[in-house]
Amino acid sequence: MELTDLTRMLAGLLCAVGFFLCLWLPRIDFGKIDPDRKVNLGFATLSGMAFFKLLALAALFAVPAASVAVANYHTIEGVHGVESCNRCHVMTPMVTDMQDPHSQTLAARHFRNGWIPKDQCYQCHSDYGLAGDLQAKMEGYRHLARYTTRTYEEPIKYRGVFPNDNCLKCHAATPKFQAVSSHATLRVRLAENTLSCLNCHGRAHPTREQRTPDHADYPRLMGGDE
Amino acid sequence: MDETQPTKQPEAAPDNPYRREFLWAMAGLGAATAAAFAGWGSLEMMVPAGTADDWHKSTCRFCGNGCTIRVGMRDGAIVDVRGHESGHNQGVICVKGSMLRALPHIEGRLTKPMIRSNGKLVEATWDEALELVAGKFKEVRDAHGPDALAFYGSGQLYTEESYTANKLFKAGLRTNNVDGNPRLCMASAAAGYVSVFGKDEPPGSYEDIDHAELFFIFGANPYECHPPLFERIQRRKALHRDAFIICVDPRRSETARRSDLHLPVVPGSDLLLLNAMAQVILQDGLADLVFIEKHVAFQHAGQSADLAAFREFLREYTPEKVESRLGIGADVIRHVAHRFARARASMSLWTMGVNQRTQGTALNIMLNTLHLITGQICRPGATPFSVTGQPNACGGVRDTGSLSHLLPNGRLVANAEHRAEVEKLWGVPVGTISPKPGHHAVELFRAMEDGRVKAALIMCTNPAQSMPDCDRYSAAMAKCFTVVSEIVADSETAKTASVLLPAALWVEKEGVLGQGERRYQLVEKLLDPSGESRSDLWILVELAKRLGYGDLIKAHTAADVWEEWRHFSAHSYYNFEGMTRERLQREPGLQWPCPTEDHPGTVRRYVEGDDPFVPAGAGIQFYGRKDKRAMVSFCPYVPSPEQRSDDRPLYLTTGRVLEQWHTGTMTQRIDELRGASGPARFIVSEADARQRDVESGDLIAVASKFGEVIGRAVIDREMRPGLLFAAFYDARLLVNRVVADHVDPVSKEPEYKLTAVQFRKAEA
Repeated sequence: MELTDLTRMLAGLLCAVGFFLCLWLPRIDFGKIDPDRKVNLGFATLSGMAFFKLLALAALFAVPAASVAVANYHTIEGVHGVESCNRCHVMTPMVTDMQDPHSQTLAARHFRNGWIPKDQCYQCHSDYGLAGDLQAKMEGYRHLARYTTRTYEEPIKYRGVFPNDNCLKCHAATPKFQAVSSHATLRVRLAENTLSCLNCHGRAHPTREQRTPDHADYPRLMGGDE
Repeated sequence: MDETQPTKQPEAAPDNPYRREFLWAMAGLGAATAAAFAGWGSLEMMVPAGTADDWHKSTCRFCGNGCTIRVGMRDGAIVDVRGHESGHNQGVICVKGSMLRALPHIEGRLTKPMIRSNGKLVEATWDEALELVAGKFKEVRDAHGPDALAFYGSGQLYTEESYTANKLFKAGLRTNNVDGNPRLCMASAAAGYVSVFGKDEPPGSYEDIDHAELFFIFGANPYECHPPLFERIQRRKALHRDAFIICVDPRRSETARRSDLHLPVVPGSDLLLLNAMAQVILQDGLADLVFIEKHVAFQHAGQSADLAAFREFLREYTPEKVESRLGIGADVIRHVAHRFARARASMSLWTMGVNQRTQGTALNIMLNTLHLITGQICRPGATPFSVTGQPNACGGVRDTGSLSHLLPNGRLVANAEHRAEVEKLWGVPVGTISPKPGHHAVELFRAMEDGRVKAALIMCTNPAQSMPDCDRYSAAMAKCFTVVSEIVADSETAKTASVLLPAALWVEKEGVLGQGERRYQLVEKLLDPSGESRSDLWILVELAKRLGYGDLIKAHTAADVWEEWRHFSAHSYYNFEGMTRERLQREPGLQWPCPTEDHPGTVRRYVEGDDPFVPAGAGIQFYGRKDKRAMVSFCPYVPSPEQRSDDRPLYLTTGRVLEQWHTGTMTQRIDELRGASGPARFIVSEADARQRDVESGDLIAVASKFGEVIGRAVIDREMRPGLLFAAFYDARLLVNRVVADHVDPVSKEPEYKLTAVQFRKAEA
């Protein structure tokens, strides 16, 4: 079982607990709690008042705090999955193509060779390290804002510059990469992103034309029958 | 009013306990929304601006792959170049194309006309230079006749430029001395296609790579010379588990290293392999007899023949009879023949290893023949494909007929009917075009040497470096009045010029390029020319005016010439009248035939439903020949005049490297490319090096009967003994000084790939 699945289950549990506490605790009259009542939790025995005060503490602070923590974890980690990207229909052509065993795009070739076992979108589209993670979240937020406000045009277009570092972080140390002499003479241009890896190694995703709704490939890329 | 009656106070608003909370909640929600939008806005502003402000569709300036590109501009300068994702190259370009941005700014650009005076080139105005050239051309014509003049062009000129030069010289100056560097690289391919199909240019397309199962790469090194093409082959192989790559090359090239089967044939013997494969195919029942019956004819030595005669002819080429001369075992030959014939779709790809040979035409004919006798043609993935070397050798020179024996659209100078058609279309009097074919490239420079040609216009090429036996022909150029239109002031050819004209380069001018799969693409002007340089078209138009041919050369802009040319083409099977300027501006290239403006272009020729000239119901028709059949000619193996001996026990072969193109006039001046390739070297085998006490890095002197050249040696452990290789991009290692200038008897293309040499260790 994946960590994200566990997180989802935990979130569901917390939600149920919070819901139950919200319904139950307002009905408790704390003045009428029998001072002699004891609640045995197995590992400790509490007075009734202490038990209900702890429940109130949980309802007011602990469960919401845990919910926030779990939700944030889900936002940070759970959206790494390909299915998260695929939730927006404009991304579906990229995902369909990537998983197409007959596609020749760079994404599909990477997917086929299995060197990126999971979170394939995220692995190529996030920079290295914590800053990269943060930047990817910011980009994700921007995409979400665009998508939910419908301020985008289909087919979508990559804005900015795809950082070569996202390729180089895996490839730069390989003997195959280092055997190509022009990789050395182009080192500065590659580092500055003034020359794209994609020039020689092909396009990453279906063309904008293919992703245009009236194109012949569009229904297939949207997951329909060929 | 009863004052005792208490005044009725206005009723207080009910004290809604939720109102305040509601307002707070709304305020909070508003603040959160504002924060969310502010965050979004900030993020939008943080997106990097991209590498360019405007992108323009264009075409790569270098090889014949003709990659469609996007040129990124900012502040009037080229700042980025990317592959065009909708182009035939599917977004892939190579390292040379990636560095195109540096091309307009290379060091040493020629910016002013120059005239040689007292042995030195001195600056002049355009008027002075053009008046001098026109005056000299008139003087030579009047004194020695039109055949004392010549034009030597290039597969790098734009189509409009080659077309105009051809018209000016053949219909204006009335000489057929119009040739160019495509004679050095593509003439054998053209002769092969014309011999077999009646019409030049490949029947298939690059798209066939996506359908082929067997790749028969013969005398070609696409990994280095056509990288996007080989990338596509490798992708096909990665996707299709049965795809198989065979590479036939005496040298273990980078392509050979990446192939499934490398056949290192003895240099110069490869026609034996093709004949032996044909023999096996016919002997072992692998031939497609139905296809042969319907679509193929045979001839031998100019006489009609048949399949039985072909079988008989091939009896001399059984695998057992050729294996020792070929250097490939009989069982391997059989294996390759079976693979070729049995594959679901076989695609042959060849370039200079085939064309630059004294049997270049024969090799081309036999490669096409293998496809015809097995029916491996006119289906997706099944095609014989001659890959071209220059960006406009096909569209600009072969299609416009800018060679000494040709007229536009496959017509021949020697054919009276063809001459009459062209005279009519050009609106010149009957009998204007000379019936005598002009000098082919090697003969043209020999004519300069012995004074038969006294004045020549050389455009967009560097023959002083690219010709075989180049010292001899540099000296010949120095004897002649040569007008050289050039981009740099210090190329080997510029050094011999009588008049040097500064030429605009690539996107400094506008024009059409026609690459190897019959695809025409427009290059639009994006930059002002460097200094006072002008387009070659402008030079030709101005020269025509000064020579008195203003009425003949009426189209003065690239767009006007294109209009004339596309309408001209409608009178032939090359018909591309449907390629309007607007379509070329809009689309990433179109493949001819394309007769109407709504025709999508032709991916596969001679196939019904795709090629507009194949009539309904014909299925496949080779309409280029009168009998509508493809012609198989018997091609006996004739050894090259260059044979190894005790004095010269090795063969030298030449070629390209990944980061450099042609004579390096452009790519050697781009730091990233020069740094990656380094200086040119002689690649030698370990055995040959040890025998001569040579280590990697030593200087060696390589000598042939044509001359000697000194350069550094690099030992390659995978190089076969008895073979040397050098690339020809580096003027500091002018390998063509020692290269033989024997030509193919049909195509007149020189045999760069085979020169008998000796080498020794040289002193530093």
